[in-house]
Amino acid sequence: MRILLIIGAFFLSMVTAMAENAPLIDEQSGIAIPSMISDAAISNLRTKYEGDWDYFVGGGVAAFDCNDDHYPDLYFAGGESQAQLYINQSTRGGALTFAKAKAQSLNLDKVVATYPIDIDSDGIVDLMVLRLGENILFKGLGNCQFEPANEQWNFDGGDEWSTAFSATWEADKKWPTLAIGNYVDRKAEGTPWGTCSDNQLFRPSASDDGFATAQSLKAYCTLSLLFSDWNRSGTQSLRVSNDRQYNKNGREQLWRLAADKSATEFTRKDGFKKLNIWGMGIASHDVNADGYPDYFLTSMGDNKLRSYVGNGEKPKYKNMAFKLGITAHKPWSEESALLSTAWHAQFADFNNDALIDLFIAKGNVDQMPDFAQHDPNNLLLGKLDGRFFEAADRAGMHATKLTRGAAIVDLNLDGQLDIVEVNRNEFPGVLRNLSTSHALGNWIALDIRRLDYNKSSIGAWIEVKINGKVQRKEITNGGGHASGSLGSHHFGMATAKQADIRIIWPDGQTSDWMTMNANQFATINKQDSAVTFWSPSNNAKMMQ
Amino acid sequence: MSVKKLLMSAALGVVMTVSATVGAVAADLKVGVSWSNFQEERWKTDEKAIIAGLGADADYISADAGGSPEKQLADIESLIANGANALIILAMDTEAVMPAVLNAQAEGIPVLGYDRLIEAKDVFYLTFDNVEVGRMQARAVFAAQPKGNYVFIKGSPTDPNADFLHGGQLEILQAAIDSGDIKIVGEQYTDGWKPENAQSNMEQILTATDNKVDAVVASNDGTAGGVVAALTAQGMEGIPVSGQDGDHAALNRVARGLQTVSVWKDVRVLGKKAGEIAVALAKGEAVMGSAKWSGGKKGVEMDAIFVAPVPITKANFNVVIDAGHIAKDVACANANADVAACK
Repeated sequence: MRILLIIGAFFLSMVTAMAENAPLIDEQSGIAIPSMISDAAISNLRTKYEGDWDYFVGGGVAAFDCNDDHYPDLYFAGGESQAQLYINQSTRGGALTFAKAKAQSLNLDKVVATYPIDIDSDGIVDLMVLRLGENILFKGLGNCQFEPANEQWNFDGGDEWSTAFSATWEADKKWPTLAIGNYVDRKAEGTPWGTCSDNQLFRPSASDDGFATAQSLKAYCTLSLLFSDWNRSGTQSLRVSNDRQYNKNGREQLWRLAADKSATEFTRKDGFKKLNIWGMGIASHDVNADGYPDYFLTSMGDNKLRSYVGNGEKPKYKNMAFKLGITAHKPWSEESALLSTAWHAQFADFNNDALIDLFIAKGNVDQMPDFAQHDPNNLLLGKLDGRFFEAADRAGMHATKLTRGAAIVDLNLDGQLDIVEVNRNEFPGVLRNLSTSHALGNWIALDIRRLDYNKSSIGAWIEVKINGKVQRKEITNGGGHASGSLGSHHFGMATAKQADIRIIWPDGQTSDWMTMNANQFATINKQDSAVTFWSPSNNAKMMQ
Repeated sequence: MSVKKLLMSAALGVVMTVSATVGAVAADLKVGVSWSNFQEERWKTDEKAIIAGLGADADYISADAGGSPEKQLADIESLIANGANALIILAMDTEAVMPAVLNAQAEGIPVLGYDRLIEAKDVFYLTFDNVEVGRMQARAVFAAQPKGNYVFIKGSPTDPNADFLHGGQLEILQAAIDSGDIKIVGEQYTDGWKPENAQSNMEQILTATDNKVDAVVASNDGTAGGVVAALTAQGMEGIPVSGQDGDHAALNRVARGLQTVSVWKDVRVLGKKAGEIAVALAKGEAVMGSAKWSGGKKGVEMDAIFVAPVPITKANFNVVIDAGHIAKDVACANANADVAACK
C-alpha cells in the first residue's frame, strides 16, 4: 500500500515536471498561483462599453447558459453602443472563444448593467437589463432567444439611471422580489451634486404571477445591491452600497423585508453604524468561516471588508480589510501616491486550494487626476492564516484598462475559474485559467435546483466539508458591479478526493450530508433529493 | 540635525524615522506623526519643518498610512506602542480616524490635527487660514479693479474649503456688491478643481456676457490657469485674476502680468509650528497664540491656530524666490519690466 502510494506520488511528480509550466508557488505562503492567460485576441469578443459621463459607471456582463450546453454564454452592456450576446464556442479545457449571436431584441443601446435570473421559473434563464432610461426584463424563450416582458409581468421599467440589481424569493412566493438601484437623478435641479434617485423594490403582486407597484427606497446614488441573509434568519435583507461622490452625506444601507409590510431601513439604533464610502460593488462570502456572510465593498482608496460581529440579532460590523491584507487601496503595479478605483469584486477559488480568493476590477473613473490612471485588477489569494496576498502580477494579469464589471466563471468547463472583464472604451478582457495543466487542486461544481419555483435556489446555503473544515456559500442573485452570473457553484477541494456536501434550502430544510467525488459537475435537486452528475459535451454546438 | 531611518516594524510595514541632534543624547519626549499618504510630494517639506520645530526637545517617529484610512488606525496604535508622548495626525479620512484619536486621548496622549480638521474635543487644530486666503484673493483683485463686472470661479462643490474661500472673498467684496460698484456677472463651482472645467465655465460666462468681464476671483492657481486660457483666447489677458497655492506656472503668470495674486501657503511655517505645538502639548504646557474655535461642521469647541498665508503679487515677488520655493529663472521667464524681483 505504502509502496503504491510512493510510486503514485512519484508518477504524479513526473507528470507535473513534464507539464509545460510547473505551478508557481508563492514562497512565503506555499500557495500555488494560478496561471491566467489572455484569450482576448482569439475570443472574438468585439464589443465595447462606451459613452460620455453617463457611462463612467456601469459596464456589466451577464454569464449564463442560454442554449443548454452548460457552457456559459455572455451578454455585454454597451453603453451608447449596442449591447451584445455572445455564444460560447469553447471546447472543454480549450481556448475561450465565442460567436456573436444573431441580431435580436437584446441588441439595444443605453444598457448599463445586466443580470441573469429565471423570473417566471420556467427553467429558461431571463435577463434583467438595466439602462439609462427604461429597464427591460427579457423573457428567455430558449435557444438564446429573448422577448421583452415588462408588460406581461407588469414590470414598470421607469426612466432612471439604473445601475444595480438583486433578487430574492420571499417565503412561500412563486414570484421573486426585485430591487433596482438607481444612480444620479439626471433630471433634478442641480444635478449631479446631491441629486440621487430613489431605489425601487418590486414585490410579487397579490396574485403572485407578476409584480406589484414598486416601493420607493430612499437612496444615496446606489451602485450595487445585494439580497443576503446577514444573520441567518432565513430571510434575506437588502444591502445597498452607495457612492458618496455625488452625495457626501450618504451612507451604506440595509433594509429588512417582512411579509406583507413595506421594507424598512436598519438604523444606527438597530446597531447598523454609518459607513460613508464611494460604494461601487458588493461581494459576499463567509470569509472567516463563522457561519455569517462578510461583505467586501469596493470603493476609491480603501476597500472594506465588513465582517459580522454579533450574535444574529443586530447588524454590527467591523472593518477587517487591513488585517486580512485586502484594502487594495493603491495599484499593486507601482509605487504611487495615487489611490485605486475599484468596481466589481468577487470571491472565488482560483487555485482550487479550498481557500477563498478575491478578484477586484479596477480602473480610473475616466481621467480623475487624483486617482491612479494605471490601475490593474487584483487577484488576492487566500492563505492558510486567513490573510490574502497579491498574485495578479505572477498570475499574468498585467492589463491596466478601465475595468468595470466582470464575471468569474468556468467558461471552458475544465473545473478552473476563468475571468471575463468589461473594459470601458475597449474590448472585453478574457482570461483563461490554465491551472489544469498545473494540477493545482481538485474541485467540484454544483448546480442547486429547486423544481417548482426559485429554480436556482436563491437563499440556499451550500456547505462543502473537507477534512472537517466547512466552506459555506450563500446562493445570491445580484451585487458585484453591474454584472451577474447564473449556473454552477464552484468549490476548490485542494488534494481531497471526496467532499461531504449538504444544502440548507431557503425554507430552512437541511439535506443530509452527501459524499461526492472530486472533479465533477453535479446537479442537486431539492424535491427528489436526486443528485445527477453530468459531463460537459465537447461543445459541437450549432451557431446561433 | 540628522534624520535616520532606524526602526522597521515588520508586522505593519511601518517605517519609523527617528531624529536626533548629532552629538546630543536622545530627547526625553517622542512625537509621533501619522501621515496620510507620504508619497504625495508636498509632505517631505512638511516633515523637515516638523523635525525642525521639535528641535532638541523631542524625537520624531512617524508612520505612513499610504492612503489607507484602515492602515492609519493601525499606524496610530503602533506610534502609541512605540512611546509617542504627543501625536500629529494628518488624517486620510477625518471621520474614520476618530477611534484612534479617542484611544490616544484615553491614554493621555494629546493629539494635533494637522492641516485637516479632526473635529473632536481636546484635539488641537493647526491649519492655514482658508477664510483669510479668500480675503487675500479678493483684496488683491479689488485693489486692482475697484469697480466693474466680476466673475467668481469657485472650487470643487464637494470640498468644504471651496466654501470657506468663497466666504472670505465675499467678506471683502460684499460692500462694493451692495453699493453696485461691483456686479457679479458669473459664478461657477469647478468640478474637481480641474483647470479644464474652469476654462470651459469661463468660456461660457464670456459668451453669455459678450466678454463684458473686468475681473475674475478664481479660488486657486489651477482654476486661475483655466481662466487665463479662456481670457487669452478672447484677447482679454491681463485683467485682474486671483489664485492660490504658489504653483510655479501661476507665479510666472504673476511675473508676466497675467495673474494678479497667488496666495502662498508656506508649509515650512505650518510644519515648524506643528513641531513646536506638539512639544508643548507633550510637556503639558500651554500653547502660545492658540484661540478657541468652533467653526467645524459639528460645532465642537477646540484650541486652534490658523497660520496666515502670504499673498504673492509682483510687489513682493522676491519672497518666493528668497525662500527657495521657486528658481528665479523659472519664476521670472518673460517677466514684465515692472517686477523688481526679476531684475
